[in-house]
Order: sequence, then C-alpha cells, then structure tokens
Amino acid sequence: MLPIVGYTNKLTVEPGETIDVMVSSFGANRYRADFRQIIQGDTNPDGPGYKDRLIDLDLGSDRTAVAKPFRPGSCVIVPGLEALPRIRDFTLAAVVKPTLLDGRNRCVVSLPGFAEIGIDEHDRLTGLAGDHALVTSTRLSVDHWHIVSLSYCAATQNLSLSVVKDLDASSEPPLPETVTVKADLPPGELTQCVIAATRDSDGELAGFLDGKIDRPAFFDTALDPNNLRNLLADFAQLRRQRSLLGAWDFSCKMTTQTICDVSPYQLHGQIHNAPTRAMTGWLWKGQELDWKLRPDLYSAIHFHSTDMYDAGWEVDFSLTIPDDLKSGVYSVRLVPDGDEDAAYYCVFAVRPPRNRASGNTVAFLFPTCSYMAYANHRLGMDVPGTEIGMGRAVELDRHHMFLQDNPGIGFSVYETHDDETGVFHSSRLRPIVDLQPKVKSFLGGYGSNIWQFNADTHILGWLDAIDQDYDVITDEDMHADGLRLLQRYNVILTGTHPEYYTGNMVEAMQGFTDRGGRLMYLGGNGFYWVVSFNEDMPGIMECRRSEAGIRPWEPGHGQFYHGFTGEYGGLWRRNGHPPNHLCGVGMTSQGFDISEPYVVSPEAANPRVGFIFDGVEGQKIGDFGLAGGGAAGLEVDRADPTQGTPDHALVLASSTRHTDIYLMTPEDLLDPTPDWSGTQADIIRADLTFFETIGGGAVFSTGSIAWAGSMAWNGYDNEISKMTENVLRRFDDKTPFEYP
Amino acid sequence: MARYQITETDIPFAREFLAQPIGYHSPGLQRVLNRMRGADWEFKYILVVEERYAKWRLGRLAKKRGAKVEMVENVIYTDLLEAERDIFKRRWKDLTGQDVETLLSQTS
Repeated sequence: MLPIVGYTNKLTVEPGETIDVMVSSFGANRYRADFRQIIQGDTNPDGPGYKDRLIDLDLGSDRTAVAKPFRPGSCVIVPGLEALPRIRDFTLAAVVKPTLLDGRNRCVVSLPGFAEIGIDEHDRLTGLAGDHALVTSTRLSVDHWHIVSLSYCAATQNLSLSVVKDLDASSEPPLPETVTVKADLPPGELTQCVIAATRDSDGELAGFLDGKIDRPAFFDTALDPNNLRNLLADFAQLRRQRSLLGAWDFSCKMTTQTICDVSPYQLHGQIHNAPTRAMTGWLWKGQELDWKLRPDLYSAIHFHSTDMYDAGWEVDFSLTIPDDLKSGVYSVRLVPDGDEDAAYYCVFAVRPPRNRASGNTVAFLFPTCSYMAYANHRLGMDVPGTEIGMGRAVELDRHHMFLQDNPGIGFSVYETHDDETGVFHSSRLRPIVDLQPKVKSFLGGYGSNIWQFNADTHILGWLDAIDQDYDVITDEDMHADGLRLLQRYNVILTGTHPEYYTGNMVEAMQGFTDRGGRLMYLGGNGFYWVVSFNEDMPGIMECRRSEAGIRPWEPGHGQFYHGFTGEYGGLWRRNGHPPNHLCGVGMTSQGFDISEPYVVSPEAANPRVGFIFDGVEGQKIGDFGLAGGGAAGLEVDRADPTQGTPDHALVLASSTRHTDIYLMTPEDLLDPTPDWSGTQADIIRADLTFFETIGGGAVFSTGSIAWAGSMAWNGYDNEISKMTENVLRRFDDKTPFEYP
Repeated sequence: MARYQITETDIPFAREFLAQPIGYHSPGLQRVLNRMRGADWEFKYILVVEERYAKWRLGRLAKKRGAKVEMVENVIYTDLLEAERDIFKRRWKDLTGQDVETLLSQTS
C-alpha cells in the first residue's frame, strides 16, 4: 500500500520555472520531501542496481500529511440561474440514455434545492420538487433514449413527471407515462443547474449519472409531454419559444469545456471532470459518421461516475527549478513518517530552457503521452486474458493494491468505465502511481517485469553508465515546440514503448529525420495510436480506438472522430502515417512471457552498417536480458515495404521464433486461421532495422520493447549495449549519412 | 462457460507444466493454461509482492473492480516458478475437483 501519494501540476518544467506539488495522506501522519534525479529504477538484483542522485535543494522541513479524497464523476454545471425571473410554473426536461443501471440513485438534471429528475434504485424515473417525490412505473432501459420531464402548473397545482421511451422499432411515437400529484410549491429560488449530477446536503456534487444526455432544457410553463418531443427535436424552433429559460446544445463549442445555452438568457455552463463530448445523440441514426459534418447529430455528452480530469487537491508546496540544473528526469520524493521504503516519487522532466539550447546534442524523448495512456492502468487486474498474454500469474505490487482500493483515482485508456464503455481520456492532473521508479508491472516479461517509465530507466541508466550527456524533452514539449526543439539535437532516443503520438509529434519527428536528424527508436510498438490534446483543457489526452489495432474496447458506432480535435481516431497506420515511414518498422505482435535473441541477417554485412557491429561477434545477439531473457520481445515490430518501410532499409537481424503466446495483430490478421502464432508465423518477429534519410540523417530501430532490458544486462557490459553505443556515437557525429 | 474442460487426459500437460512453468509449451498445455487463465473466472489467484524479486504472498482477486484482495493464509513463495506450480495445482483442483499430485503419482 501507499501511505502517501502526490502529483505535480506539470510533467515538464524548465530551469527557473516553478512547479506545484499536491500531496495526500493515505495513512501517513507526516512527511518530508527531497529532490532527486532518477538514474535507474529497476530493483531487480540481476540488474544494474537502483540509482538516483540527491539534488541539494531545500524543500522545507517535515510537513503534516493531510488526507485528500478522490472525487470522480463528470457533469455540467450552469451557474447564474438566480438571474432568471422568479419561477412558479416550470418544465424541466432532457433526453437521456442511461448506460449503467445498477441499483444506485442517479440524477439526470437538477436545479439544486428546487427540482430534479433522477433514476431510482429500481431503474424508475423520479422527480423531486419541494417536499414532493414522484416515481414512474416505467423502468428506464440502457437500450433506449427516453424523453423525460418534470413540470408544475400553479393554477392547477399539478406536479407531473413524465417519461417516454423512444423506441426505434415503432413508427408511431409511444405515449408518455405521466404521474401527477397535487402540490403547492413556492416560487423558485434558483442558483444553478447541474446536468448528470446534483448537490448533496453539504453542497458536494453527488448522484453522478452513467449515461448520455442530449438537449436538457428548462421552461417557465408546464408543457404537455406530448409536445416536448417535437420541441426538443428542433433547436432552431426551440430558441424562439417564449417560455424558454435555458436549453443547452452540447454540439456547440464541442472542443472546449464550455456548454452553450441557446436561449436568449445565455446561461452558459462548464463541464466538470471531462465527460465525453462529440457523442452520437438522440437523433443520430447513422446519417453521418463525422461529428464535424453534422454536429447537430452529436449533441449528446456521455457522462460517467468514474470520469476524472483534475483531482483538484490543494497545493502543499512549490519548488523553483534552479537555473543551472541540468536537464534530466527528476522526482520530488515524499518520505512518509521517516519510512524511506514507503517513499512516493512524483516524477517529471526538467527540460532544457525554452529560449536557448543547452549545448547537448543528444536528447532522450520522455514519452509522456504513453505514460498518460497507461496511467494507473489495471490491465492485470480488470482485464480478463492479461494473464494469458503474460504467460504467468499476475503480480500485484503495492501501487496495484492502492489502485484496487482507490478506483476513484481514475483510469487509463486501457480500461472501461463501469458501464463497459471505453475510457477515452487520461489525465496527468492526478497521481499516476505507476509513473515511479522501483515499481513492478504486468507486461514487462519474466525477469524484471517492469513497464513504461521504469523500463525506460534502463536507458537513462545506460546513458549515465556510458557518461553521455543528454537533455530530456517530453512528448508535450515536442507537441508544442515541434521541430524548433528537435533541431537542437543530433540524436533523439526514444523510450522502450512510445506508443501514443499526436499529429504534431508525428510531423515533428518526421521533419527531424527528413532534415538530417538521427532517430534511435529503442522500443517496440511505437507511433501506433492517434492521441490528441485539448487546447482548452491542459493535461488531458484523448484516444479513440477505431477499427483496428490491439484494443481493449471500441468507441462505439459513429464515434470514431476525436472530440478534442476532430481527428479520426485509431491507428496512425490507417491515417496516412504508418510507423514504418518514421522508423522503418511497425507493430506486428506481442507476448509478455519470454523474449528471444536476434539472428544476424546477411544484410548486416553491408558496409553501410559496419559501424554498428564494431566489436560485436557472432550470429546470435541479445540472448540475455532483464525483460524476458532476450533482446527481442514483449511487443515486436517488423519491417514491411507494404506498410512504408523504405526500400533501402536494411534489416540487420531478426528474431526467428517466439512462444505461441505471441499472436498476430488484428490489423494484419485478415483471415484468422490458427497458424498465426509465434512458433509458426514468420511475420511474428522483431526486425533490427537501419536506414539513411535523404537529408543526411539516419534511423536505427530495434523494434522490440525488450531491447533496453538487454542493454542493462551485466551492468550494461554486453553486446547489445555495445551496439547501441556504436550507433549513438556515429549518430552524434554530424557527418552526413550518404543516401544510398 | 469455457468450452474446453480439463480432464484426466490432460495429465501429460500437467507434467509438462510442472517441469517448465514459463516459456515454450505444447499446444495441449497451452490450451489447458488458456482455460485456467482465460476470461471464465470469478476470482483469480494473484501474487502480492511482499519483497520485490524475493517474496510473494498468494491472494485471490475477485472479478469485480475494487473488490478487496483476499489473502490466502500462510502461503508465501520465495521463488516465482514454485509459485506458478502451486497456482497450477490449485486451479486443477478448483476446476476438476481432483488432486493433480495424486493423478501424477497414479500415472507415473
């Protein structure tokens, strides 16, 4: 378990900049903080040994550890309703499609303290106003949209709750069920409208809905539920209704946090905790698949009680990065109650200054997009079949036990919400408990079994071991600064698994190699999924896994375009940027049990690549390692001209066999015959690949996540380490490579 | 319900697994393991890391997200391969009602 956890407001910071640290106790009474450079995070006794470096920076004395909760759940909050005329008669309405009915009370739309429409523990619609509670006999269904309303007429004293299922199978609109009671309600004292949640007696958000809501609206008259259907279906007509007090069109300002009121009152709201926008609405029947072309059909928001954007914890302390601190991967270490073994590491990158180059010619690309994609992932816990892919039992490290106890921390894009729809968003504005040194994982192979950040420290440790100066730049830096940043360097090294890329990142990296830059892709399954950032919401990332790829869920029909940018989600391979263009290889298979050596190919004898093999003997390389016992494994890439591998690329070595846990990727498995497995299919292999670029640059790709685990074998003294160093030294020499 | 059911005819694969728990497996053993490790489970045995790379405790993880991990009392491993063998035997018993060690001794 983790007695203390924390996060920072940024994952990349430059010297002289200030970074905030947010901390919560999960059992700790007090803590102290120090500042460390992370060198090598693997604690495997067969590895090179854990290593960090204490930086002399005063982070203050002992502090009290204060418990702060996770508050997941998304909704819309519309403030300013006190500006409306005092309300007697009213109708509160919405179109709703719940996606999880599990016996919990949920709210559809609420005017806190005045009226609300909800769903009770028996899946029935409920209405509350004053002291009156109404309930329908109709049970809501996850299979249908429902037009719901609560209305009051002071003259008749009728308070009515109405529901009608919108049955696609019926050509005639079914009749609503309406329940009515007599009530004498006082005029409304309104402050705000909350959509998909309500306020509890303490004023906290509560009753979060799992489901879609479309076009909630509020009127100053009691409307006949038979008329509501036509009214709500036509926003253009609705906005001229003189009784209209507010109607929220979720298809407006789709890429922002803003929710637009189409009524003349302009009661605009804000989303809370990043629910999913650009989702098919009530009127979507397959007319269009791209929300940008028919946003009116994408007027729904999908809310989840498990959504999490910003944990929102108060800042415990801030630190200013010293002006002379060299770029690297650093951590604010939180030591609870003097127990160093229980320390929590808030990891981030100190990037080089924005306005001037550091002088370093080598940069490690800290893959923050991929770290965010996997942030707090629960693959070994929630996902059936992970154990088959691992080929062994799941290990739960203490951060996994913390995740199990605290699902409110929010998910990675590998999980589904409780309604089994995919998690499209991951945020760094919350603790990411697997972005730490020392942690074990699920997918790292027999041996060290480490993944993503901690596996990448094998590369950081190697750079330290060979005395190579380097800068650390992040995906976010590359996304924002593009080639302006990359062009400072002769060589960019990737991490072990740079899987998630934005369009800006792909363009920047391609521009870098096209113009003479040298790329060392030291991983597998890189440049695979499309992700996007949101200019209105720093720190959150979207991923919609359309059509193909090894994916734990699909986004749902008609929902393949990202809400943040309008980009078509899915594989870069299907979006005109196959990874083979960038690095010569592309994802071909995965398995997480054991890894294999590479067998040297005849192409390795080409004089163009003689420098790589300087001092390396034998036809089999990398028959050792901390990640599954070989240099080729976990996730492996193949060279493939049909996917864009340059014709002049040389495949220097390949793995020649894998276990039958390694299977074909779905995008390549057009006809699923039973011979597409590691002992049978030649296509399942890692190809060690090299090619020159027309601008005098070059690319070296390992096509294997396990490569770095072999670099770290025997204290970095081995042929894989030697080859990698050979490449680095030549790549760092500005002498242009000759295009063959 | 998983289609494949483990029976006494799979005993050779148990022998194969206990000799080499991790790595290359015959198709028959892989099928047995797929049944044990696949989606058809209400709980799965997991290894709770007590000391990294040195000591593990056996636990049972329920399918429901956020469920409390149930620790199996007094089961501690200091070797991952031994843990794999023990979990295999437990699952065999859970799925067939039979003790794999007894079956192995009868067929050796």
